[in-house]
Amino acid sequence: MFVTLPEFEYHRPQTVSAALDLLDQYGGGATVMAGGTDLLVDMRYRIRVPEHVIDLKGIEELGKLTFQPGEGLVIGATVTLNRLLEYDAVQSRFGALHDALEDMCDDQVRNRATLAGNLCTASPAADCAPPLLVFDAKVEVASPAGRRMVDLPDLFTGVKETSLGTDEMVTAVHVPEPPPDVQSRYLKGKRSSEDCAIVGVAALVARWDDPRDRVVRLAYSSVAPTPVRVYDVERIFRQDKPWGDLVEEAVSAALNRVSPISDVRSSKEYRVHLIDVLTRLALRELLGGRR
Amino acid sequence: MTKFKYVGRPVPRVDAMEKVTGSAVFTDDIELPGMLHTKLLRSPHPHARIVETRTDRAEAVEGVVSVVTGRDFPFKLGIYVGDRDVLATEKALWVGQPVAAVVAETEAIAEKAVQLIEVEYENLEAVFDARKAMEEDAPIIHERLGEYRTLPIFSPRPGTNIASVFTLKKGDIEKGFAEADLIVENEFSLPQVSHAYMETMCFIARHGADGNVEIWSSSQPPFIVRYLTSMSLDIPLSKIVVHAPYVGGGFGGKAGLNFEPLTVLLSKASGNRPVKLRLTREEHFTVAAIRPGLHATVKTGVKKDGRIVAEKIVYVFDAGANADYAVNVGRAAGYDAIGPYDIPNVEAESFTVYTNKLYATAFRGFGHMELHWAIERQRDIIAKKLGMDPIEFRAKNVLKPGISETGTGARLREDAANLEECLRRVGDALEWGKKPAKPKEPWKVRGKGLAVLMKGPAIPPNTASSAVVRFNEDASIELMVGTSEMGQGTLTSLTQMVAERLRVPMEKIRVASLRGTASTMYTWQTVGSRGLFMDGRAVLEANKDAESQIKQIASQVLHVSEEDLELAEEKVRVREEPWRSLTLAEVVMGYMYPGGNSIGGPVVGRGSYIATGLSVLDPDTGQGNPAVFETFGCQGAEVEVNVLTGQVEILKAFSAFDIGRAINPLLVEGQVYGGTVMASSIALFEQLIYQEGVLLNPHFLDYKIARMSDAPEDMVSISVENPQEDGPYGARGIGELTMIGMAAALGNAVSNALNIEIKDLPMTPENVWKAVTRQNPKLLERAKRYLKGE
Ligand SMILES: Cc1cc2nc3c(=O)[nH]c(=O)nc-3n(C[C@H](O)[C@H](O)[C@H](O)COP(=O)(O)OP(=O)(O)OC[C@H]3O[C@@H](n4cnc5c(N)ncnc54)[C@H](O)[C@@H]3O)c2cc1C
Repeated sequence: MFVTLPEFEYHRPQTVSAALDLLDQYGGGATVMAGGTDLLVDMRYRIRVPEHVIDLKGIEELGKLTFQPGEGLVIGATVTLNRLLEYDAVQSRFGALHDALEDMCDDQVRNRATLAGNLCTASPAADCAPPLLVFDAKVEVASPAGRRMVDLPDLFTGVKETSLGTDEMVTAVHVPEPPPDVQSRYLKGKRSSEDCAIVGVAALVARWDDPRDRVVRLAYSSVAPTPVRVYDVERIFRQDKPWGDLVEEAVSAALNRVSPISDVRSSKEYRVHLIDVLTRLALRELLGGRR
Repeated sequence: MTKFKYVGRPVPRVDAMEKVTGSAVFTDDIELPGMLHTKLLRSPHPHARIVETRTDRAEAVEGVVSVVTGRDFPFKLGIYVGDRDVLATEKALWVGQPVAAVVAETEAIAEKAVQLIEVEYENLEAVFDARKAMEEDAPIIHERLGEYRTLPIFSPRPGTNIASVFTLKKGDIEKGFAEADLIVENEFSLPQVSHAYMETMCFIARHGADGNVEIWSSSQPPFIVRYLTSMSLDIPLSKIVVHAPYVGGGFGGKAGLNFEPLTVLLSKASGNRPVKLRLTREEHFTVAAIRPGLHATVKTGVKKDGRIVAEKIVYVFDAGANADYAVNVGRAAGYDAIGPYDIPNVEAESFTVYTNKLYATAFRGFGHMELHWAIERQRDIIAKKLGMDPIEFRAKNVLKPGISETGTGARLREDAANLEECLRRVGDALEWGKKPAKPKEPWKVRGKGLAVLMKGPAIPPNTASSAVVRFNEDASIELMVGTSEMGQGTLTSLTQMVAERLRVPMEKIRVASLRGTASTMYTWQTVGSRGLFMDGRAVLEANKDAESQIKQIASQVLHVSEEDLELAEEKVRVREEPWRSLTLAEVVMGYMYPGGNSIGGPVVGRGSYIATGLSVLDPDTGQGNPAVFETFGCQGAEVEVNVLTGQVEILKAFSAFDIGRAINPLLVEGQVYGGTVMASSIALFEQLIYQEGVLLNPHFLDYKIARMSDAPEDMVSISVENPQEDGPYGARGIGELTMIGMAAALGNAVSNALNIEIKDLPMTPENVWKAVTRQNPKLLERAKRYLKGE
């Protein structure tokens, strides 16, 4: 842990193409920075020592935040967590994301930190990841070769590793409009009131009354090398079985999918226990009155 | 209601404006011309011999002024036992111990160069558990323990890892247990924790070519820093000046001596240029002193009617690698081992033990939060076994003014604090007889708990303070006291006391914010909740002295005797003929008659105080009187626990302390809120987690402390005021007290809520879940069934 940052050259491009030119020019020696709340910490620890830091905050295009019926939510790469938190559509339609944002970092950090940064850090504990996984989000990736859309699960390849090439950057996160009756929650197991997730659970339910078309989704943070979605859940909840049995099956499906470890924050046993109870709590909160 | 104009009033702090506007000066704000910066190289091993250190690569870096190693500074430091190296000399004793330092033109250069120092180590067997360290075949951490300069009141055991042991013996323990109807024995524990004060430590020192030394330090006790630096480094006291700017929280961690001697020596080694050493938070976590951990074994004998007849206690304090200050923590916990109870037969041993971990020092409560965790959990467990109400059980056994004897055999004075009153007041506030309301979710449970507590200053018997009250031309006042301002607010209370007696408005009294050994009056240390009491007593003397000087002059001018004069409204006047008066401004610089003849001279009030009536405790039995006052109190809480996750939420927290008189009720409340939150944080979250001596959580990401959202929603300070005759305006100390009982109160509340017995801190969600799983699995099953909607 150092007081000083390693030496680097600071760039503040005004357009995406200028940023991409810089990435292209410096190859692996450059890194992009949004809020810097992860990057600068890593740099002080010398976990990362980039020679060039490309600050994205000067690029106007990346600051856009829109919601359009049919199209969904588009969150530019420099949109801060607090801006998102105050955005009406997030609160009204993307409950789990709103829960996650409310319970992330603290007010000061949220004023700087971005959603794209949270995803690109690719921490297993990234709080925005599980909600975005249950909402089927995609990230828009730009490179000198053009733009492509990446399904969120394909972004994460390992602990703090992404599938992004050295000449690529995320320009926005797209979240499709969910069904009108959607309900979702994000619950977080923590050591104190402000903490990163020991276990995070995002749950989403839609079209509950139509068993064959029913949508139930679960995704987790801090239980595997990357945030994970448990795809089996959807199938499980379309079976014609009593509620209690469905929940049991969903919990075992989740436990099968995850691979929690013991670390300084929690033992593996406690994580397994939290996966169990938080999954049940989330589903109960969403379906309490309706099953 | 108070009959005073200033004392007893909730006046705002005198330093409030300075602090909220950011103009208050802390050590790190100070820059000196030509100042250099330093970085420390830390040991990666918990216990290793230093074979060789190569510094040439670091020395070659441009901008490096000097590189030093432990062997350059062969001095031993310490307040009570001189066991501390300036930099590790022969051996490194914990992961993080500084072994070398680089001084350079900038911090960045120092940081870069320090990585280039190469140290060859030979690893030695290490020991991390204090009780294992006491075993016969444990590796010895301080082989030279017998050679260290040690104050005679401590008893180190050379050849072992026991830095000191304190023994308390009263009555006949065997007879006591034989009389008991019920004997209860339990073990309790608390981990080492960090002070986590907001201001990380910072030091600046200049060792002049002429041998004069100047130190700026984020230190609680400038005078002790001067004294110990002089003694350890063999520099004449008169050549050292220590400046003490504002301190951003100390909690004991900035008591005694810290890195001042190192910084002085670095300046000397760097061409006499001033050197600044400032620690980052992460360095702090591995380099600076912490609070000891405790393992306690408590065995208690009680009669059926609830009388405690015998108690046998073993405290083992995990002091880490140095115990220079911690031996006194162990000692204080030893003589107060049984807490505020009247027990006829007592035997207690309190060990302070070395381990290869971070070293411990003073910490708010000085062993008392730790010991009360053990005995106040024990009291609840006993009450449950007896089928007695825990308040009644305590009321039966607590110390009572004028009647009871403490564990050290000191009879409580008639005007001592009234503990039973505090106990009842907290019980009432908690609506003790009433069941807590039902939580909203059926998988949550609520419980109430309380704990009583005591503490007096743990100080040498001859501890002293002094003060000067000096008038200016306009009859404004400079108040000069040595006590440090680290957030507690004592300077405000002392100012109130001056205003009260000398009848000068508070705005006209100034206490220098940058204080120090050359600019203020002597006080031993700002520790142990002693500041208001002892420095306060000195201020009262200074007031009296100033007043008599004023009256002397005025009596000549007004032709009345001094006894017939009084001070009022910035005047001195004849009591019976108040229209006959002089303004203070006419008097305090000396009075000039119309013809020019002058009498008197500048008024300078001088006051001194020394603790009296204290004894050196008996070395075999610990009997005697260790404290000038004891503050008693009770703290209680109501909690809600989520059985599924183990999360504890504090709904209400009440504290009642008999502080004699609240000189400033606002400051008392501030202390109570601060102490409550700090204690809750330690009770629920805090622990230094090691793996083979390596600290796994050296940062606030994983060393959790309470934030605002963790503070209890409902925090109340209940003031009980039975004045102590010799206290300033009847006051006793309060600072540390406010956190001593809260952890045990929370432990009792959580245990009651879950119908289990929590014996180890912290009560993290995971630890609570584990305890429920082990002790009351049915409760967890029931909660899970609710979840399924059954
Ligand atoms: C005190 C504190 C508390 C925190 N609490 C939490 C918490 O509770 N939960 C949580 O999940 N996180 C937490 N964090 C971590 C962090 O704040 C979040 O992950 C945040 O969202 C990161 O966003 P940022 O904009 O600051 O990222 P940056 O630090 O700017 O970037 C993070 C990483 O992503 C890369 N990156 C950023 N933008 C792009 C882009 N457009 N394209 C490609 N790569 C990109 C960067 O190169 C870097 O590797 C906390 C951090 C701090 C300091």
